[in-house]
This record gives sequence, C-alpha cells and structure tokens, in this order.
Amino acid sequence: MRRYVFGRLGQVILTLLIYVTLVYFLMQAMPGDITMMYLSNPKIPQAAREELRKQLGLDQSLFMQYFSYMKNFFRGELGVSFSQYPKPVWDILMEKLPRTFVLFLTANVLSFYIGFVLGKVIAWRRGRAIDYAATVVGITFWTAFYPLLALVVIWLFAYNLKWLPLNQFIDPRLWSTAPFTANQVFGNMVSGAAIVAIGIFLISYYLLRGLKPSRRSRVYAWSLAAALVAAVLVIAARKGMLIYIWDITRHMILPVLTLTLINFAGTMLLMRDSMLETVQEDYVLAARAKGLPDHVVRDRYAARTALLPTVTSLVLSLASSMSGGMVTETMFSWPGLGQTLFTAALSNDYPLATGALAFTGIFLLIAHFIADILYAVLDPRITYTGQSDV
Amino acid sequence: MDTLLRLEDLTMHYKTKAGWVQAIDGVSFSLDKGQSLGLVGESGCGKTSIAMSIMRLLPYNAQLVKGRILFGGRNLYALSDEEVRQLRWKEVAMIFQAAMNSLNPVYSVGNQIIEAIVTHEPETGEDEARERVESLFELVGIPKERMDHYPHEYSGGMKQRAVIAMALACNPSLIIADEPTTALDVIVQDKILREIEDIRRKINMSMIYISHDVSVIAEVSDVVGVMYAGKLLELGPADDVFKRPKNPYTYSLMHAYPSILGEKHDLVTIPGEPPNLLDPPTGCRFHPRCDWATKECGETAPLWREITEGHYLACHNPIRTKQGKSCKQQKTAKGGDVIDTSDGN
Ligand SMILES: Nc1ncnc2c1ncn2[C@@H]1O[C@H](COP(=O)(O)OP(=O)(O)OP(=O)(O)O)[C@@H](O)[C@H]1O
Ligand code: SF4
Ligand SMILES: [Mg+2]
Repeated sequence: MRRYVFGRLGQVILTLLIYVTLVYFLMQAMPGDITMMYLSNPKIPQAAREELRKQLGLDQSLFMQYFSYMKNFFRGELGVSFSQYPKPVWDILMEKLPRTFVLFLTANVLSFYIGFVLGKVIAWRRGRAIDYAATVVGITFWTAFYPLLALVVIWLFAYNLKWLPLNQFIDPRLWSTAPFTANQVFGNMVSGAAIVAIGIFLISYYLLRGLKPSRRSRVYAWSLAAALVAAVLVIAARKGMLIYIWDITRHMILPVLTLTLINFAGTMLLMRDSMLETVQEDYVLAARAKGLPDHVVRDRYAARTALLPTVTSLVLSLASSMSGGMVTETMFSWPGLGQTLFTAALSNDYPLATGALAFTGIFLLIAHFIADILYAVLDPRITYTGQSDV
Repeated sequence: MDTLLRLEDLTMHYKTKAGWVQAIDGVSFSLDKGQSLGLVGESGCGKTSIAMSIMRLLPYNAQLVKGRILFGGRNLYALSDEEVRQLRWKEVAMIFQAAMNSLNPVYSVGNQIIEAIVTHEPETGEDEARERVESLFELVGIPKERMDHYPHEYSGGMKQRAVIAMALACNPSLIIADEPTTALDVIVQDKILREIEDIRRKINMSMIYISHDVSVIAEVSDVVGVMYAGKLLELGPADDVFKRPKNPYTYSLMHAYPSILGEKHDLVTIPGEPPNLLDPPTGCRFHPRCDWATKECGETAPLWREITEGHYLACHNPIRTKQGKSCKQQKTAKGGDVIDTSDGN
C-alpha cells in the first residue's frame, strides 16, 4: 500500500511540473505585452515599477524567466497582483481557494452520494416505475443547459419564493456590524466541519467495525456523534458566530443545489449500469444462497463492487464542475477561484490569472490522487503485490 | 430412514423470447438423511435448474409449472421469502458450479464465512464464529492464517476448498455440490472429492452431487440419478445402476467416459446432440439418439416406475441382459459407434 501511494504521489508531482510549465507558456503566448501594459499603467508608481520589473525578472532570457518562475512557484512566491496591487497573489488565492474548495467538494460529495444511492436502488428494482422515473428526471437535469438551470433555480428559490439569497457569499448588511471578517468565520466553519467529519469517521471506525456491531456500540456511536456535533455548535454559539455561519451556509445552498442537480445523474446512471453487471455475478447469487437478507446482498455484494468504477466518476465530475466553476461562481457571484480567474483574465492581471489557473490544476490533481488512493482502499486487488500488505 | 428431501413431479420451465424452455419435466426422487445422491447428465439437461429449484433461487423468468419440493416435510414453495432465507445455508447449502467466482472479491475469505455464521446464528459472537472458521479451514486443509486473505490471493484449489468450508459453516443437513471440481485438474479433483465424502460421512450429512462426469458420480454417490433433456431416465443405488444399467442412455453415458469403477472400457461416443428444450422430441426425449428405440418410443413417453426396490426407470425397452453381448449385437447391427464393448461382468 505504501509503495502504491508513493508511486502515485510521484506521478502527481510529475504531472504538476508539466502542468505548471504549460500554464506558464500559455500565459506567455497570450496576446498583449505585459511590459507595455504595466509600464503604461498609471496606477502603479514609478518605484514599484522597477521593483516589479525585477520581481518579474523581465530583463532575463525566456529560459531563465521560466526557470525562476518554476523556482518561485514551488516556494509559493507567485508575485503581486496587478489589479489588486500590492496584494501578493498567494494571499489572494489562499483567501479564495477554500471557498471554491468547500463549494465544489460539498456539491460533488452530495451529488455523488445521491447518485450512488439512487443508482443502487433503481438497478435493484430495474424495470419498475422508480427506475424509469429516476432515469428520466436524471437525464433531464444532466442534459440541461447549466446557466439556464442556474437562472431557473435562482428565479424560483430566491426571486419568487424568497427563501434564499440571490447570490454572493455573505449578506453585507448583516456583516457591516460583525465583529469578525468573513474569512475568519469561514475558516472556523471549515475547521469545525473537518473536526466533525474526522470525529464521525473515527467513531464509526472504532465502534461500528465488524459485520454486526452490537446494539450497545451503535447507541454509543450515535450519541458520541451527536455530542460532537452539539459541542461544535455550542462552541460556535459561544463565540457568537452562529448567525454568521448560518448566513454563509444560506448563501451556499443555491449553488450547491444547482451543481448537485446537474451532476447527480452522471453517477446515478453509471452506478445503475455498473450494478446491472454486478448483480449477474456468481458471488451475488452465492450471497443470496447464503441466506443473507436482501439489503445485505444489495449493499455489501452488488453495490459494493459496482461502486468501484463510479469512484472514477467522482473525480471526473469534480473536474468538469471545476472547469465549469467559472460559470457557477460568476452566476452566483461566489468569490472563489473561478471568479478570480475570470476577472483576472479580463483585467490582464497575468500573475493572478497564472496563479489561479495553476491552483485549479493542483486542486484537480489532488482530487485525482485522493480518488486513486480511495480506489485502492476500496478494491483489495489493486495494490496486491504478492505479499499481504493490504 | 427419514426422508429429508422429496421432489414430486417437479416441472419447471423458463420463459424466453423464443418460447418456453422445458428445463425440468416431471422429476421425482427422494433423498434420505445422510444419503448422497449423484445427478449425472450431459450439459444443459437441467441439473443446475434442479439445484436452483431446491434453493428456491430460480431466475425471474423461471416458472414452476407443477409438482412440489418437500424439505423436511415442508413445501418449499409455500414458504414465505423470509422463511426461505432462514432455511438457506442453515439447512441447505450449496457449492456452486462457478465456485471460483462465488467469493466476493472485496472481502476477505474468512469474513465471508463468518458473515454466513453470524447471520444464521445471531447468538454466536464474531470471535466465536472466527474460531469456527479456523477449524473449518483445518478440516478442508487451508492454513488458518489464510483467513484474512482476499479471494484473489488464493489458488484455484484453495478457493474450491474455501467454498466447501463455507458450505459447511452452518452445519446444514443438505449440501448441493454443482460440479464442485470441474475447474480443477484431475488429481486435485479426486482428492477434494474424497475429502468432501469423508467429511460428509463423519457428520452424517446428505449431499447432492451434480456432474456431467460419470466417474465423479460413481466415486461418491450412494444413489445415482441419470438425467436427459430435463427428465430423469433412471435412478437407483449406484452399484445397481452402474453394474446393471437398465436405460440405454445410462449405458451409453457410462461408456462415453473411460475408466468407470476402475474397469477398462473403450470409448463410445453418443452420436447426435442433446435436443433443444424449446421443442423437445415427443415420446421419450432420447429416442432420436437411442439405438434401442422402437416405434412406441417416439409416440408415448415412458412411465417413471420402480422396477426393483429403490431402482426407478423410464424406458420402453429396458436393457435386459447383464450389459452383455446383446447390447453389442444390437448396437453394431444398427451401425452405432461401437469400437469394442467389454463383456463386463
Ligand atoms: N435463465 C434461463 N432462461 C432460459 N433458459 C435457461 C435459463 N437457465 C438455463 N436455461 C436452459 O435450461 C436448460 C437447463 O439448464 P441447466 O443450467 O439446468 O443445465 P445443466 O444440466 O446444469 O448444464 P451444465 O452441465 O452445462 O451446467 C438449458 O437448456 C439452458 O439453456
Ligand atoms: S424409451 Fe425408447 S428411446 Fe427412450 S431410452 Fe428407452 S428405448 Fe431408448
Ligand atoms: Mg449446470
């Protein structure tokens, strides 16, 4: 297993090198000359120009420029943004990245889970009404024109029903008197969610392992999980953050909903297909012969192996929704990486655009890496090397 | 002796686009506690279909036309799904034809056996089940450290043994072994068969062996049933049936395989193909290929009747002699592929 992980990691790093190189040359090949642009930019004072010229290394050869770019890139020095001068690109990205990450991760995990469960159920009841209904609805959303769907969702829930805010990340009226910045609250939200997720994982790992956890350990597990969630909420409340957290959450709902609607059918249909194959497997028949209850045969046998190919789809859908991230973030005015890339490209902010593009790629590579590891964890056949180190 | 399983006039058809496949037609037999029955017949004659009927695991397009299956006196097809689920593995376990693929690739082998135990015996803890699996592994000859390994880490023979261990896990009163050893080479095949037989005798369990290979059946069964195209043609004590076959098909089948019961026979092939079960021949289903066939055979199906104690037969013209010269004369006269038939005993 360890060898497998390191092997994958090596591949990821190699891909990253190539990707960053590509991004660099792509930016070099863009029309419009950086030198001219910033020399004629009246916003930048003379002293800063010299500093910038040096920092960008524009007096060196292209190869040397590339070399120092790579060196700087891997030290996290991405230069200074033109349009938000003098803010370093790194700081901007570090502010935007979590927002994009949280938004797309939530939407993808949600749509994957929904797609997985629906696909499993409809494959198990193939040919029945629920199968047709879910397939038709899923395909309708899947093939919908994304910006249109987003508009419809906004119109319905925000404009018409007024349940949720139209767009943005926060409600400025609420936050004008807030004792925290949006970033502080968001950071706390993310760490709170991470603590809950890790906690629940550990609880279920230690208390619910084995084939048939006893009733007592199930009760323990549930109460521990509930206590954990309650504790996190109480801490947030005592910090006075709860209302702000709720505000950010409310702003997340519509984009997450839209992304989920458009994405879940991919996983669902894939899961359905994959499971229609696994139900034919001899071990599924054998599981029924063993007298296992129907849901056990479905979940632990047919669905468990059908899950494997759909894990790949999780990454693919993450990739496609990230590349559509610019659209989502623009439609919902979500101040994340996609929107940053969009505005940076429009305003010729090369350092920022390069950084944003590079980080989008890194993000995807990491997702890929995680999916590979997940795949290996889920399928014991993958890492098999002859010894039983699985 | 107590009857454990009884099939009464079982008739089961599969619905297909082309029509009804008459896979089982009027099959009756009964099996006592502790007895082993061998079902033999060419590929596609309905052996697996019988096994699946007994497990009540038939595919959705299968239809029970008539007859019934009594297990321990209970009509299997009158039970609820839940009752059948509890019966499976606890009472009737199975070694599948595709034993190699009947283990789930993503769980360890031991885990899958433990699962069967704790499902059917909720009072058994997982540790206790684990110990039981260890002793089962010992019984079938797999090192017990192998428990936590995954199926892909097993060799073919080991998987086969693991599947046998799994069938034994809940001490069922009956195990159906559908071609339990076909995927293995002959030496391993023999060894495993003998091991199953040993275990079976030790714990006085009933068994149904299914094979297309007469020599396998001859080695392990108390009673043999010979099937052809969805029908039983002959059934009786193994010694009786193999020493004095009454049905011409039994006779041909025995001689289609070399070396049965250790005697030397030259190979006789049965000319022709088994019939299409969508539209089986009228009368006796074997008549187009039978060297003993008379006019009657093509018109009326022979009745299933007991000819001597425990020996059943369906045939209009049973072989009367002791598998002797008359067969040879008759066959060669009709131009069958007889190379040489020994005089037997
Ligand atoms: N689900 C099904 N639908 C339609 N026909 C089927 C189905 N399953 C089996 N059959 C047909 O029923 C007949 C009996 O099949 P079965 O599998 O019981 O034979 P078998 O004796 O086990 O053969 P083998 O030795 O090849 O395993 C065959 O003609 C087969 O084609
Ligand atoms: S009934 Fe006729 S055709 Fe059928 S096996 Fe007997 S002799 Fe042959
Ligand atoms: Mg079969």
